[in-house]
Amino acid sequence: MSRPLRVLLAKTGLDGHDRGVKVVASVLRDAGMHVVYLGLHRTSAAIARAAAQEGVDVIGLSSLGGTHLVHAREVLEQLRAEGLEDVPVVLGGTVPVEDIPALEAMGVRAVFRPGSSRDEIVATLRLAAEAAQRD
Amino acid sequence: MGDSDLSRALEQAYFEAADRNETWSGLPCREFYGPEDVAGLDYGTTLADPGAYPYTRGVHANMYRGRLWTRREVCGFGSGRDTNARMRFQVANGVSGLSVIDDNNGSLGIDADHPLGVAAAGIQGVSVSSLADFEALFDGIPIEGVSVAFDISGLDSIAWMALYVALAERRGIDPAALRGTVQNDTLHFQFCGYGDSCPVDLGLKASVDIIEFCTRRMPRWYTGNVNMYDLREQGLDAPQELAFGFGNALEYTERALARGLGVDEFAPRRGFYCSCHIDFFEEIAKLRAARRMWARIMRERFQAADPRSWQFRFGVHTAGVSLTAPQPLNNAIRVAYEALAGVLAGAQSIHCCSYDEPIGLPTETSQQLAIRTQQVLAYETGVTRVADPLGGSYYLEALTEQIEAEATRRLDAISAQGGMAAAIRSGWVQREIDAAIARRQQEIERSEKVVVGVNAFRQPRETETPGGVHRPPSGQGDRLAEAVQRLRASRDAGAVRRALRALRECAGRSEQDNLLPPMVEAARVYATVGEMLGAVRQAHGLAYDPLGVLEAPRDLAA
Repeated sequence: MSRPLRVLLAKTGLDGHDRGVKVVASVLRDAGMHVVYLGLHRTSAAIARAAAQEGVDVIGLSSLGGTHLVHAREVLEQLRAEGLEDVPVVLGGTVPVEDIPALEAMGVRAVFRPGSSRDEIVATLRLAAEAAQRD
Repeated sequence: MGDSDLSRALEQAYFEAADRNETWSGLPCREFYGPEDVAGLDYGTTLADPGAYPYTRGVHANMYRGRLWTRREVCGFGSGRDTNARMRFQVANGVSGLSVIDDNNGSLGIDADHPLGVAAAGIQGVSVSSLADFEALFDGIPIEGVSVAFDISGLDSIAWMALYVALAERRGIDPAALRGTVQNDTLHFQFCGYGDSCPVDLGLKASVDIIEFCTRRMPRWYTGNVNMYDLREQGLDAPQELAFGFGNALEYTERALARGLGVDEFAPRRGFYCSCHIDFFEEIAKLRAARRMWARIMRERFQAADPRSWQFRFGVHTAGVSLTAPQPLNNAIRVAYEALAGVLAGAQSIHCCSYDEPIGLPTETSQQLAIRTQQVLAYETGVTRVADPLGGSYYLEALTEQIEAEATRRLDAISAQGGMAAAIRSGWVQREIDAAIARRQQEIERSEKVVVGVNAFRQPRETETPGGVHRPPSGQGDRLAEAVQRLRASRDAGAVRRALRALRECAGRSEQDNLLPPMVEAARVYATVGEMLGAVRQAHGLAYDPLGVLEAPRDLAA
């Protein structure tokens, strides 16, 4: 790796549960990645803007409010509209396993549910970033 | 697995020993406890019989023989009508009290038609934008008779109280007849992701307004439940749960006194909302320690004279954070143990999590199992027969003292900083929480604590959720938003404008001016939650819209 992987993390939607995303932020930092955490209640426009400004390799969305399908779609559409469709998007939170196919079909590269391990998250993000750089 | 592997695995499992010499909160534990561990305990002053000060053994002499705990299950999704139907389902299944929670829009104090709120409308709780939603929510429910808990904590607390009083008056019911609880713990909202929408000072003012209004006009209403549960969910340990919860409770008490209320006027109608986590004895000890601590704080520090002011009355919410998404049915077992701890600790009210809590909102099936969990406890196990059945256990009494000492030490640290509001402002509380989050994560990752299905006894992840998933109907948010739009177009615009102006004027006058009377007037003429709280926020020099998108309606500006 020539430089640390740059990751943007954001909470979409309006739920206030940020314990998980903070843990993930520290996990990624421990793994040597550069993490930008946007915070709570972020709109798709704000996420796309930050992704462009920060030149990130991966975007991680956190959702524990049950609106993951709506907000993932919004973020992906916004990224496409701004020519950032190459930036891989992953999502984590309280997501029923039944929703994973729909998230993957719309373009989310990976979905992490409670119980996902540190190693799994780090490895998946690296792979997603490397795959995007090759494409 | 080959024969030799099988033999080795079996032998290892057979000789396995419990390797924990401390509680989940890190309190050291010996192999056994004996008479010398309780030698210093003076029964009369430290324990006393159930129903007697300092209430270590319970707030009622005959405990559940006098009345069982209230079996409530938090409820709220979709429209008022949807939640009304689920409440009826709960009642049909034997709950003894109702408990309603609002959606994320409500927590922020915005309406269902807010451009950023449409997706969240009715998802994590019931969508309530105006009295019209309350009329649907409580349709056919005799609010003069049933006890309703509002799991509402931010500025939405005062809006919900205004709506409930307006609903009662519309039905010709004197608000004095209303029974129930509003959580009204605005301070704890700083740590639930809603700090920006509920600043410390405005939140405290609104909380005290509710305490004052209900003390004067709603004598059967509990004016607040200090929410220790949500703090614990962040990863705090058991002594921290008490210390931070009491830190918040002291802040409300001091401010209610400063408003001119007498301690014995309001203290009997305050409650606590506690976690029952997975370390069985530690949780029971924690709740017994809480009763003793609170009794002494109220009697010695605040000179309360009414015994009801000394009593730590609490509801229990089993610990969502202890549940796992892998192997979700295991959660039903965890919940049952946690609820048992709550009963052995003498809870006044219990909410059992549904087994699918780490996955989504409960289905009817999972919620029914949660209700049945309470009923098996209440009717089959016999644990309701005797008050404080574990009282006098060498171990439990020693642990109760340990937790009390540790919680007191931490509460003193908060007081030394000038109290909870000051500790929040300085960032100290958030740092403590962040450290706790990191610590808990580390314990699980390093397998210092076994979590079945996560770091031990793993299986391939489920390919479907047992019992299915609760799904909102498609287009729900749009429908809820349209309903609010229709309401705005159909109500008496002049009356709304006058009521909101009066509310805003009152909010701008002084700390002492209670916001509830003008807010009840505004609620009565169908002003929305977003409009009412927006007017209050503006009067306090804040943006009308906590999300910074909407402008105030033109005719309300200044």
